[in-house]
Amino acid sequence: MSTASRERILAAAKANKPEELPLPTVPDFGGEATIERFTTVLTGIGGTVVRMAALDELEETLQQLFPEARNTSSPLFRGTVPVNSQTPTGILAEIDLAVLPGEIGVAENGAVWLPEANMLHRALPTITQHLALVLDHRRIVATMHQAYAQLPHTGGYGKFVAGPSKTADIEQSLVIGAHGARSLVVVLY
Amino acid sequence: MKVALFVPCYIDQFYPQVGIATLQLLEKLGVQAHFPAQQTCCGQPLANSGCERDALPIYKHFVQTFSDYDYVVAPSGSCVYHVRKHFDKLEQTADVQHVRGAAYDLIDFISTVLKVETLPGAFPHKVGLHLSCHGQRGLHQANESEMTPVRDGQLHRLMASLDGIELTQLNRNDECCGFGGTFCVSEAGISARMGQDRVADHVLNGTQVLTGSDMSCLMHLEGIVRRAQLPIRVMHAAEILNGVVT
Amino acid sequence: MSHAIRADKFLLDADRTTWHDETLWFVREKRDRAVYAVPEFQELRELASGIKNHTLSRLDLYLREFESAAQANGVYVHWAADAAEHNAIILDIIQKEGATRIVKSKSMLTEECHLNPFLIKHGIEVVDTDLGERIIQFRDEPPSHIVLPAIHLKKEDVGDTFHTHLGTDKGESDPQRLTEAARQHLRAKFIAGEVAISGVNFAIAETGAVVVCTNEGNADLGVNLARVHIAAMGIEKIIPRLSDLGVFTRLLARSATGQPVTTYTSHFTKPAPGKAMHIVIVDNGRTQQLGRPDFRASLKCIRCGACMNTCPVYRRSGGHSYDFTVPGPIGAILSPNIDMKKHASLPFASTLCGSCTDVCPVKIDIHTQLYKWRQVLGEANEIPASKKWSMKFMGRVLASTRVYGLGGQFARKALRLLPHGLTHAPSMNAWAVARELPEAPKQSFREWYAKQPQPAVQPTQPQIPA
Repeated sequence: MSTASRERILAAAKANKPEELPLPTVPDFGGEATIERFTTVLTGIGGTVVRMAALDELEETLQQLFPEARNTSSPLFRGTVPVNSQTPTGILAEIDLAVLPGEIGVAENGAVWLPEANMLHRALPTITQHLALVLDHRRIVATMHQAYAQLPHTGGYGKFVAGPSKTADIEQSLVIGAHGARSLVVVLY
Repeated sequence: MKVALFVPCYIDQFYPQVGIATLQLLEKLGVQAHFPAQQTCCGQPLANSGCERDALPIYKHFVQTFSDYDYVVAPSGSCVYHVRKHFDKLEQTADVQHVRGAAYDLIDFISTVLKVETLPGAFPHKVGLHLSCHGQRGLHQANESEMTPVRDGQLHRLMASLDGIELTQLNRNDECCGFGGTFCVSEAGISARMGQDRVADHVLNGTQVLTGSDMSCLMHLEGIVRRAQLPIRVMHAAEILNGVVT
Repeated sequence: MSHAIRADKFLLDADRTTWHDETLWFVREKRDRAVYAVPEFQELRELASGIKNHTLSRLDLYLREFESAAQANGVYVHWAADAAEHNAIILDIIQKEGATRIVKSKSMLTEECHLNPFLIKHGIEVVDTDLGERIIQFRDEPPSHIVLPAIHLKKEDVGDTFHTHLGTDKGESDPQRLTEAARQHLRAKFIAGEVAISGVNFAIAETGAVVVCTNEGNADLGVNLARVHIAAMGIEKIIPRLSDLGVFTRLLARSATGQPVTTYTSHFTKPAPGKAMHIVIVDNGRTQQLGRPDFRASLKCIRCGACMNTCPVYRRSGGHSYDFTVPGPIGAILSPNIDMKKHASLPFASTLCGSCTDVCPVKIDIHTQLYKWRQVLGEANEIPASKKWSMKFMGRVLASTRVYGLGGQFARKALRLLPHGLTHAPSMNAWAVARELPEAPKQSFREWYAKQPQPAVQPTQPQIPA
């Protein structure tokens, strides 16, 4: 089935395509790569930004932010639940707080690049009730163009996360906490 | 400068005063426009209905009628847009190309060719502008809310220059009125609802006189205003400007 | 049945029409604010259009490049010529897995192919996990919008549906609480899911990755908990390079909902260890559309829905009035390619106001294509015969000055002399449904003009008043 269709589709695409047109070059566009811009935008889409002076303040910062989190998981400190790529779904589903290192922050939209290598398990960033992303403030760029320019590759899986999971599917009323994390904090150091 | 007046069919038959105002206004601005009597229509009603082929003889008649003039001015942006954009179906002879480039909406002609942006005169009323889609988005006679928050345009500038005038701030600056040519009868329900909503925005924001440079939209809006017996007067911009400029 | 007839049904509930119009206009306004805030937005539209045009002009080559890269990533690539083959491929994957519990995130392509009823017919439970899609799945309705599938429903409607299907309290209509009920319900489905089906927003030729954009996180949750991921994509989803994504991710969410970006922009490149990933590449009429020079630009569409939100007709007629998977202006130019007869009225469901073209983030000339489809339909005799013949008649009248003058005089006289009840009877005159006819003047412009002292036709110099 598929082989014949493959040939047919490729042949039809070749026969029906227009004369070749040039691929445009995408300029950098510059923009504002500041903590302030990043913070304003992320706050505007339901996220929170917290500053700390150095990475070693992380656990204390999280303790203040999530005093009630019991099941925590992180590659940055010893959480209560160790997670790796083989962790069963039942255990993942009980996690209250995942604390993961982000790689790049995007000031124009509040997104943070989170590669598979930083996730412990691919499902962890969405199945956890709350998500904290830890980001070096020097890794904030202005736009998506600059973010992609800095990515060496996208690995097996990776994503930009911009704020908490949300929906407006009922009457366009914004509800935070659809299926993924109910809250998102970016901890900048 | 040899200028012809194109009076679209429905204006000729139903709104002669708009044709007269256009002619007189041009005269006051120093332009003696001529009305070639053999003119009929631009063919848009047919083409928009999917019968472009049947419109081709009308296009040719239009070109023959107006090819000797430097400019063809009409109080209806929609017809002008049709000539400029859709006469591409004709063989592009020198005459066809000339007429396509020579066709101007009245307000566009005053602003772009005559370079008039302000007019002396007073019109002490609250005036709501209706921007025709073909004039605004097609002929770029006004900024579009899809692109920019800056509200500016040829008609806006001319009207704002009149003494005592107050321009209505609408909730939706440039939504379509729902006329749409044959759409107004083939989709009569939606067309009427769009027109009612457009008029309601003007009522809500205090418009006393509703104006625009495209009589086809205004014919539709006037029909709604009169049916609902609303205290709004609908006038073509040419009527207002001709009335105030001496 | 024509769009106008279905639209009239929607219009019967005037308050709901007002609500629908205002709700979608609110989305359009959010879009405007997001667009105004990006100074280079118009430049980005131009770039996006250029990238898509380029890609279409090398589509077969990019598809091959994408396939090779995906296979090198350990992904199974399938090709489906049409909807039936798409459905058969997905069923086959599911059956080979021995799976019965399927979770699906939003995919307009699977809607287009009617995958759900097909799988259910074969005894496979498929759960739509996007909140809006789940709501309409419970109600057994098609989506009425490509981004906001349940936008035709009010919260009370959703409350009733959830009361029936999820056991929420009767009368509960708070969106927050209804969403929470759906979250709990769908968590159980995610956890149990064996196979996850997703759509594709972008497929990158260079890396073989597919990119999926959601706000809810349902695609990520479904795919990453299931054993098998099936991503279904139309051939037009290809973009050449990872760096091109910068352009599209900046445009998509701003155009769709006014957000700066979707919450999740997820790049699926390789299956997780021990799991499997399949990509189904579907034609279903797209190569045919590629071969229509006037209409191929419709393949640039990135399914943002901005043309629906801005369309004054769509906002007042509802998505179901289009009776096609993709409603609104873009649906009206895609649907005749699939079935010209069935969808013949859709290109006429527009005033050609052009707002759709101006919000389109990839600069599809939507209103021009609507106009061109009208000509194709006219030539194919797919417009009502009465309209066709009256237009032919008008064509002859308007090409002749003499006949035109006589006809106009007659019409005006008739309008003046006939009683209002006759000229305005809705059964005779659709204009009069809500509008008065113009008051017919005694003389036409040309009659007036003929009585004026005629100026000599000679060049004049404009005199601008001071």
